[in-house]
Amino acid sequence: MNRSPKPSEAFPARLTEARNIRGLSQTDLAEIAGLPASSISRFESGSRKPSFENLRRLAGALQATTDFLLGRVDELDASRAANPMYRDFQNLSDDDRDLARGFMKMLAKRSGGHDEDED
Amino acid sequence: MSEEIAWLASKKAELFLVQQGYTTLPIDPFQIAKDLSIEVKAKPATAPGVSGMLLRHGDNFGILYATCYANEGFEKFSVAHELGHYLLEGHIDHVLPEDGIHESRAGFLSSDPYEMEADRFAAALLMPADLFKRACTRLSDGLDAIETMASLCNASMTTTAIRFAQLAPTCMAIVMSSGTTIDYCFMSESLKTMGGVEWLRKNEPIPNGVETGRFNANSGNVEQAHRVVRDVDLQDWFGGQRSLPGTEEILGLGRYGRTLTVLTTDVLSDDEDEDEELEESWEIRFRR
Repeated sequence: MNRSPKPSEAFPARLTEARNIRGLSQTDLAEIAGLPASSISRFESGSRKPSFENLRRLAGALQATTDFLLGRVDELDASRAANPMYRDFQNLSDDDRDLARGFMKMLAKRSGGHDEDED
Repeated sequence: MSEEIAWLASKKAELFLVQQGYTTLPIDPFQIAKDLSIEVKAKPATAPGVSGMLLRHGDNFGILYATCYANEGFEKFSVAHELGHYLLEGHIDHVLPEDGIHESRAGFLSSDPYEMEADRFAAALLMPADLFKRACTRLSDGLDAIETMASLCNASMTTTAIRFAQLAPTCMAIVMSSGTTIDYCFMSESLKTMGGVEWLRKNEPIPNGVETGRFNANSGNVEQAHRVVRDVDLQDWFGGQRSLPGTEEILGLGRYGRTLTVLTTDVLSDDEDEDEELEESWEIRFRR
């Protein structure tokens, strides 16, 4: 089975793609996202990995979703909800698992969206 | 984790505070999360499990944190640790396997480099070096000073003790232990540079004959948060080429189940006016 790319591996190409779709220069994007222009260049070359906060700011500036920038969906404004069958799920206690699920449903409601992948 | 990565994680936390305008103690990680639009929720006090979880659903983020220890400092540290995962570069690969949930066991015990980096970030976020050092200038370097700083920073004794040892200009160390075993030890830079001093490693036995070993032999001392102070020779703990007369202060941490030992020596300032020298050394060293 092929290994899924790590989020940071998909990110550089997706960032460039989203920026081009929106017709923004690296400088434009940096200004809208409130980040140094040099950061955009480094993110796109893959020499610097983003934080979640970087990711969120860039997604907001590009009117894209973080899921697109992470290579988890192929449409700019689409989201993929969390998949409850995740790698370390079995390491959590039953209580933690239930709490996490409940909390994520609340986060889903907060965005006004729904969770396609939820069981 | 290399010292360089640990140092960088601390610096990133401190830079974040300056850039975002958090300039007074105590630092409130709950407020920081709110300012970052991260939803924070407490786990029920009856649920032990992991200390914290960073969760993501689409573009929304949340933090769940444990309250089972009824320790506000531990809870703040757990939230600050998850903020570290959120704000540190490169953690997306660690935190996002195939899911939206990341679970942590915060508290300087993990050997996972990402978790250790988040721990260092959390400690510096709650106790940024410049504010911490400034507040320490009028304090000595023992358990009382750590308690004062824990109160000022509204942080746990363990987190504060570690930060104190990392930043102290004096010759000191803190040791966290359980029963006969060392959980971890942090030495000040001054102590590390003493000739022949040996590092106490995680999971090593407590050295023979030291007071902490006797203290831990009675579990009631830990459970009932007893406190003991003894004049000792730090050479019994760290070996080395010379005798280091000093003080061993021991505190049982109650429900946490561990013992905090603070080891200090004034061997470096024997000939000085102690108070003036200490104040000056905190100020000078921390301006660097």
